[in-house]
Amino acid sequence: MSPGGKATTRVLVVGCGQICDAHVQEARRAGAEVVAVCDASPAMAEQAAARLAVPAAHADLAEALATYHPDVVHVTTPPQTHLAVAVRALEHGAHVYVEKPATLDAREAAVLSDVARERGLLVCPGHNLLFDPAVRRLRELVDNGVLGEVVHAQAVMGYDLAGPFGALALSDPDHWVHRLPGGLAHNNLPHPLSLVLPFVGPAPVVVAQGRRLRPERHGDARDRFHDELRVLLEGPRATAAIFFSCRIRPVQLSLELYGTRRAAAASLEARTVRVTEGSPLPGPFQKVDWARREARAATGEALRRAGDLLRARLHYFEGMRALFRAFHRAARGEAPPPEPVAQMLPAAEVLDRVFERCRAAEERAA
Amino acid sequence: MMAVTGATGFLGGEVVKSLLGLGVERVRCLVRPGTDPQRLVRLEALGPRVQVVPCRLDDPEGLAAALAGVRVVYHAAAAKRGAPAALVAGTVLPTEHVLRAAAQAAVGRAVLVSSFAVLGVAGLRRGTLVDEATPLEPHPEARDGYAFAKHRQEALAWRLCQERGLPLAVVRPGFVFGPGQDLLGSRIGLRLPGLFLHLGGGCPVPLTYVENCAEGVALAGLVPAAAQSAVCLVDDDLPTSRALLRRYRREVEPLRTVPIPLPALRLLARANAWYSARTRGHLPPVLTPYKVDSLWRPQRFSNRRARQVLGWHPRVSMTEALDRTFAALAARARAEALP
Repeated sequence: MSPGGKATTRVLVVGCGQICDAHVQEARRAGAEVVAVCDASPAMAEQAAARLAVPAAHADLAEALATYHPDVVHVTTPPQTHLAVAVRALEHGAHVYVEKPATLDAREAAVLSDVARERGLLVCPGHNLLFDPAVRRLRELVDNGVLGEVVHAQAVMGYDLAGPFGALALSDPDHWVHRLPGGLAHNNLPHPLSLVLPFVGPAPVVVAQGRRLRPERHGDARDRFHDELRVLLEGPRATAAIFFSCRIRPVQLSLELYGTRRAAAASLEARTVRVTEGSPLPGPFQKVDWARREARAATGEALRRAGDLLRARLHYFEGMRALFRAFHRAARGEAPPPEPVAQMLPAAEVLDRVFERCRAAEERAA
Repeated sequence: MMAVTGATGFLGGEVVKSLLGLGVERVRCLVRPGTDPQRLVRLEALGPRVQVVPCRLDDPEGLAAALAGVRVVYHAAAAKRGAPAALVAGTVLPTEHVLRAAAQAAVGRAVLVSSFAVLGVAGLRRGTLVDEATPLEPHPEARDGYAFAKHRQEALAWRLCQERGLPLAVVRPGFVFGPGQDLLGSRIGLRLPGLFLHLGGGCPVPLTYVENCAEGVALAGLVPAAAQSAVCLVDDDLPTSRALLRRYRREVEPLRTVPIPLPALRLLARANAWYSARTRGHLPPVLTPYKVDSLWRPQRFSNRRARQVLGWHPRVSMTEALDRTFAALAARARAEALP
C-alpha cells in the first residue's frame, strides 16, 4: 500500500536497455513501485539501478522473482527472449507487460496467451500508443458517434534511420533487430497496427509489400531489411492502410479515420486532433469556408497545446503511463483489462501475414 | 604484438600510428565485423605491420583468438553518443569482455582509454588544480550519460584487473581534438538552432591534441612505471573557452552567441532541475547545478604526472594544433556552404 492507503503495484523490470528508463519512470508516474531491475548482464542491471534510483539490481531472473514476488513484470529484453521471460514471470504468479513486438510470431503469442489463461493472469503487449492522448481523443469521437461508422483507417509512420536506435541497428550487423522475422519494420509496425486493428476486426485480409529503397552499403543483414512497407488490411466493413517509411520527413506517426459522417486525424507528434466536417456552402464558397473551419480548429488546438505546456501535460511517454496505470489496475482486479491485452494474438497473426506477403512478393520478383 | 580496440575511431587510429612510430613491430587492430571498408583505409595504409582483425568485442572466443600472443592490449573502443543505457552497453560491456579475454590470454598489460569525465570536480573550489590526485566522481549518476558510462568503465577495469592479476594502466585524456572533430563541445557551450549559448566563459579548456594524446596512450603500454596507475593527459598552454569561441566565429562560421555567466547558469540550472523534478520529467534535467559545477566552473589542469611517469610531452604545440584544427573546420564549413 502507498502512504495514502492506495494499493500500489510492485513492478519488476526485466531488461535494462534503452527502453528500461521509460518503463521505470512511467511506472512510477502511474503510481507503481519499481522494486528491482533485472538483466542477464550484471553491469547493465547495476547501471540502471544506479541511474534510476531503483533499490535492487539482479542478474538472475528466478532469484529476482522469488525475492520480490512482483505483481507485474515488465519485459523489456530483446523480442527473441520475450516468451521465455514472460512465461517464467507468469509461472511465478506475476502479470506481464511485454514490450512490442510481444512475441516473434503468432505461435509464440498463442503459447503465451495459453499460459496466462491457465494461470488466470494477464499479458499486455506494449501497444501504448492506443493510450496516447491524441488517439484517445480520436477514439472518443468514434465512441460518441461523431464520425459515424468508420469505413477506413490510415496510419502513417515515419522512421529516422539516423536516430538513436536506427544508428545503433545500422552500426551492428548482429543487432537483434536484424534477426526479427520482419526486421526493423517488425519492431515498429506493432504501433500503427495497434491503432488501426480496432476498425477492421481481428482477422483482416492482408495485402503487403516491402521495399528496400536505401543504397546497399554493407553486404550483410544491414542491407536486407525493408525500409518501406505498404500494408492494406481488409475487414468485413472497413479497410485500413499502414504506410511505414524511413524516407518521409518530418518523422511522425499519424492516424486518420474516415467515417460515414465526418473524418478525423490525430498527429501523435503534435498531439493534435483535427475533425474534418466539410462545408455546406456551394461552389467556390465551400473552399473558403472549408479552409476557414480548418484554420479555426487549428487555432483551437494550438491554444490547447499551449495550455498543456503551461500545465506540464506534454510528457513524451504519456500513452505509456496511461496504459501502465490501466494495466496495473486490471492486474489488481480493479478494472477490466485494457484493450491491448486482447490485441496480442490478432496483432501477431496479422504481422505474420504481413511478413509472409512481403517475402512471397520478393520471391516472385526474384 | 600489440592490440588496439577502437582502431577505426578518431583517437584509436592515431594510437596505432603512434605505436608504429615508437618502434612497435606489429599492431593488431580489432575492428567490428562489417565495418565500412572506407573506415579501414586509413589503417591499411599504414602498411604490413598493421593487421586488421574483425572481432566482436562481446565474443569471448573471438577475443581469445584475437588476443593470443599479444603483449599489450590498448582498449580505446567506447560509445560516444546515444541514450545512457546504450552508452553503458557500448562502453562498459566491451571493456568487461576485452579485459577478461586479456587476462585469460595472459596479456602483459591492458591500457584503458578513460576520460577526464570520471573525475569528481563539482565540489572543488574555483581555480583548483585538477590532476591524478583529484578523487573519482562520487555521483556519476548526477552527470551526463557519457561521464556515467566512462566512470563505470574505469571502476570495472580496476576491479577486474585486480581480481585477475592483469596489470592495468589508465589514461584519462581531456577533450581530444584535431582535424575531423568539432571543437565546440559541451565545455564550450550548447548549440541551439541559430544560436550558440556560450557557457564556458573564461574557463581553461582541458584540450589534448589527438596526436599528442595518442602518443601518451601508446607510452602507457610501453613504459614500465605506467602499470597500475592512472595519468591525466592535457596539452600545454590551454586556451580559454572564450578564446576558442572567438576564433571559431572568426575563422569557421559567424555564430550568433549568447554568453551565460556562471551565476546566471547556476540559476538556470536550479530552475531546470526544480521544474523537471516537480513535473516528473516534463522537461529533462539537461542542466543541473551539479553538472554546471562539473563542467563550467573554472579549474586548472596539469600534465605533470604524465610527463614524469610516461616521459611524455606534447610534441605538437597548442598553436600548431589549433591552426591545423581550425583550418580543417574552415575547409569543411566552406565545402558545406557550396551549392
